[in-house]
Amino acid sequence: MRNRVVRRVAGVLGTLFGVAVFVFVMLRAIPGDQITAGLGTEAAALTPAQRVALEHYYGLDESLFTQFFSWLGNMFSGNFGYSARSQQSVLDLTLHSLPVTFELAVFSIVLALLIGVPLGMLAASRTNSPRDALGQVVSLGGLSIPAFLLATTLLSVLAASFGFNPNGQGFAGLLDDPLLNLQQMFLPALVLGFGIAAPIQRTTRTAVLEVRSNDFVRTARAKGVPPRRLQVRHVLGNALVPIVTMTGLQFGYLLGGAVVVEQVFSVPGIGRQVLLGIQQKEYAVVQSTVLVIALAFVIVNLLTDLLYRIIDPRVRAS
Amino acid sequence: MNALRKSPSSLIGGVVLALLAVVALLSYFGLLPHDPIAQNPPSRFLSPSGDHLFGTDQFGRDVFSRVAAGVGNSALIAVVAVAFSTVVGTLGGLVSGFYRGFADGAIGGVTNVLFAFPPLLLALSLASVFDRNWFTIAVAIAIVYVPIFIRVTRGPVLSLREIEYVKAATSTGQSRWMIMLRHVLPNITSIIVIQVALSLSWAVLTEASLSFLGLGTPPPAPSLGSMIFEARSLVFVAPWTLIAPGAVVVLLVVGLNLVGDGLRDTLDPRNRGKR
Amino acid sequence: MSRGAFSAIGAAAALSIALTGCSSSSGPTTSTGASGTSGGNLVVGVTTDPDTLFPWKATQFQAVNVLTNIYGTLTEFDKDLNVVPGLAESWKPSEDGKTLTLTLRKGVTFSDGSAFDSKDVKASLDKIMDEATAAVARASLSSVKSVEAPDANTVVLHLNTPDAALPANLATVNMAMLSSDDTEEKLNTTPNGTGPFTLKKRVASQSITLARNDKYWGSEKPKLDGVEFRVIPDESSIVSAMQSGNVQLAVFNDPLVAQTAEGGGTITVAKTPQLNYHALQLNATHGELKDLNVRLAIQCAVDRKQVLDTAALGEGEVTGPITSPVFKSDPQQRPCPTRDLAKAAEYLGKAGKAGGLTIKTMVSQGEYATSVNEAQNLKAQLAEAKINLDLEVLESGAFVDRWVAGDFDAAVALNGGRPDPDGMYGRYFTSKGNLNKVAGYSSPELDKLFAEGKATADQAKRKEIYAKVSAELENNAAWIWLFTGYTYTGTTSQVKGFVPMASGSLQYLRTTTLG
Repeated sequence: MRNRVVRRVAGVLGTLFGVAVFVFVMLRAIPGDQITAGLGTEAAALTPAQRVALEHYYGLDESLFTQFFSWLGNMFSGNFGYSARSQQSVLDLTLHSLPVTFELAVFSIVLALLIGVPLGMLAASRTNSPRDALGQVVSLGGLSIPAFLLATTLLSVLAASFGFNPNGQGFAGLLDDPLLNLQQMFLPALVLGFGIAAPIQRTTRTAVLEVRSNDFVRTARAKGVPPRRLQVRHVLGNALVPIVTMTGLQFGYLLGGAVVVEQVFSVPGIGRQVLLGIQQKEYAVVQSTVLVIALAFVIVNLLTDLLYRIIDPRVRAS
Repeated sequence: MNALRKSPSSLIGGVVLALLAVVALLSYFGLLPHDPIAQNPPSRFLSPSGDHLFGTDQFGRDVFSRVAAGVGNSALIAVVAVAFSTVVGTLGGLVSGFYRGFADGAIGGVTNVLFAFPPLLLALSLASVFDRNWFTIAVAIAIVYVPIFIRVTRGPVLSLREIEYVKAATSTGQSRWMIMLRHVLPNITSIIVIQVALSLSWAVLTEASLSFLGLGTPPPAPSLGSMIFEARSLVFVAPWTLIAPGAVVVLLVVGLNLVGDGLRDTLDPRNRGKR
Repeated sequence: MSRGAFSAIGAAAALSIALTGCSSSSGPTTSTGASGTSGGNLVVGVTTDPDTLFPWKATQFQAVNVLTNIYGTLTEFDKDLNVVPGLAESWKPSEDGKTLTLTLRKGVTFSDGSAFDSKDVKASLDKIMDEATAAVARASLSSVKSVEAPDANTVVLHLNTPDAALPANLATVNMAMLSSDDTEEKLNTTPNGTGPFTLKKRVASQSITLARNDKYWGSEKPKLDGVEFRVIPDESSIVSAMQSGNVQLAVFNDPLVAQTAEGGGTITVAKTPQLNYHALQLNATHGELKDLNVRLAIQCAVDRKQVLDTAALGEGEVTGPITSPVFKSDPQQRPCPTRDLAKAAEYLGKAGKAGGLTIKTMVSQGEYATSVNEAQNLKAQLAEAKINLDLEVLESGAFVDRWVAGDFDAAVALNGGRPDPDGMYGRYFTSKGNLNKVAGYSSPELDKLFAEGKATADQAKRKEIYAKVSAELENNAAWIWLFTGYTYTGTTSQVKGFVPMASGSLQYLRTTTLG
């Protein structure tokens, strides 16, 4: 048991190290550096001495080896680096943006479950019926309509026609102004949730069909368990495992994958932090943030595994 | 093909794809009503008519012809990307599952790293590293999907390895590569086919999203994503420039998804025998 | 490029509009709640927040716009881009033009309460000239030998050569006057300037809020209680935010977005012709472009109006090299003022390229809205003259990298204009100019003309000289100048008293009211 835990932890650390190397190398392969990103074409007017001064200022004059290990070493001591652009430590930035994205992810997942699970169950209750078709159409829409198209359309139509645009106001933290915050999160969460509802609807449908074909459900039905109770307690209960797995997977992706929606709805989340970092060539910001996202992803996966063990009847029984 | 006949939805999907394929082929053989790239400034922003089915854009280019060419280009990018990730990913999964040991560890490690990297950001960074053309965009998208193929194939290979006839083949002294190609690969094709069908639609959407962030296929060659990106701000001036490529992107992805679903329903061993 | 443009100008100018003595309402109102009286908080929509708060290094449009409202400069531009007094009440060149004596305004304080005097001016100018500071405006002071502060209100600049462009060069926020006690580290977080507003609060990537500086030296105090620059990354989303009344003012880049904004009815969009110009930069030191005939063939094969019409929906004006109103080039004075394919073919024949040729052209995607569209149209037009533009579409970082290194044959670019033609082109087209590598063209004639222009104080004579510069550039097809666009300032009906400038500067936020 302990061996397994040790190996798992080692695996996680290995993955994170790999991500660290990968992001470090890739960032330096992208043309341009913080000087040209900051000054734009005015950088052409710099004298050699000015350039040297700037390289020193941004720490670009260190060897790549030193840059990498001093960054990694600093991360262990909780120093994620400094963003010259926002005059804040990357840790501070992340402490602001990660909860925002986390909230958005949770909100989206809740909406996705609210849309996906009932539709999936409805579809499974009678396959090849209009209900099934409805579920299929909705999930097909979720899979096929690009998020950015849905997002821009929703925003411009609602704002132009109804003057409804909570996202036009300054972003409100969940604790500062919960009511405004929830309004601001609703549309982005809906767009994301609609997309995720599709795989959840599908997983639910397949899982329910599979469970229903099992013997114990037939037995329960023969025993006279009322249909509603049968649906919820026996069928859904047993279909939960794949649904949870799918939800966990999607949640993990949301932590880094909401960039486009964050951009359109001006949500100051972690995806935008990385995007800005890439644009400004703020290496420390991108490196540390990506590492945080990777860590969050790995943790979510571990938790999903754990949850899976708790709810899987087969694992529970043994 | 059998698969298509059995489910009505995949039939619809098939028809949609076939239609789009015809349109794309028209553009390939130069049979479009207008040159998709040629500009004709005097006829800018014409609304849809008989001559210009979907109207014209700000350069006086025919939107229908551009959409047709765009379908071809978007499909090309998606197909090349998915082909690349299928080959590399399947190979990785095969080696990983069959050889186990060091190879498995190494490939698994790389897979985990790529998985933990936010996919769109990965594609975005890769797209900014290289000189941008349709091929590098395809490769960037492909790299994102390689780990999925590795993961999808590795599991089945692991269990196939333990099956009697594979073991038997091993004991007769056939080379490992031979066994992989002859006995293992054929048994995982259905899984791969399903994954290919699903990945194609993702690839189309990813290309479109990259274009939205300004990192997609460079003009003047049209792709559906870049057309949407260019037309986004024209929505009140000439809505058809946005609606046409937007609707076609959705149509293309719907078609791919429907066919993918059909394939899954018929090919997935778990679904077999249930119907 | 666009960013350079805005750094060139900026700072606050006093515009005397009589005050209608109403007291400003106290306390911040909500973002939507502009009250009937003056005061209130104005919300400006911006696509990104400043990338630095240190004025000497700020070239980003958004940074310049914020800092212009916080810092002061020795001279300023008025709304017509004339040089007017700022922190210097007056200035006077010596007979031989080799010294410039500035008399400073009295009673000016920094926002931390300390007094502004000649010590601060000397310290600021010395530091800008010091290469270790890496100040972007250093080259504008290249004619300055030393700075002397004989008394608290007088500063004397000793020059190597007479420099008629110097007063205009002092008017950019990159020449902001800082307190001699301040350091870059300190100012990065706590700006300390003499401008009409002070920094109140900053939330990274979300907003930056300024409050009125009650100690501002101008005869007229700013009226707004505060200004919030709110970050909304997508320009179309800014339009949505204005339509829903959350944002009251925004500067748009994209003519299409501006049209969309106007179409809604709730937003008024003011168009101001820009100093920035769109051009096809040719590198005359590279390959086939070395041949004047090849360059002239390109010059003749381009219908500039068509580029403007297709790429920017006709939003702008065809232009020659110099864009500032006072020195403006006449776009008709050039070889082939209208497209002439026969002539283009003739030039190609003279170059021995009658069969056509290919020119690699780089273009950025994402740096500004119309770039890729211009490139597409240029490609289509030049193809008809057998000139094939081989387009390389680059992410803006890669584009800037290669532009800075001069590593291109041709480039579709939006470059920054400046009010003074010497500041605008001297650095590009003189053989010793620090951007000559990027310009790819210089000649003894141009060197002579620019030197003359710098040494001449008489405005009428300077105009003549720069008309010659303009002709020299066009006749040699150094670059292909295309058009200038507009700056679009969108305001809701509550916003009064704002004056948009050709530079896109928001310096007149100080005269703005919400009503």
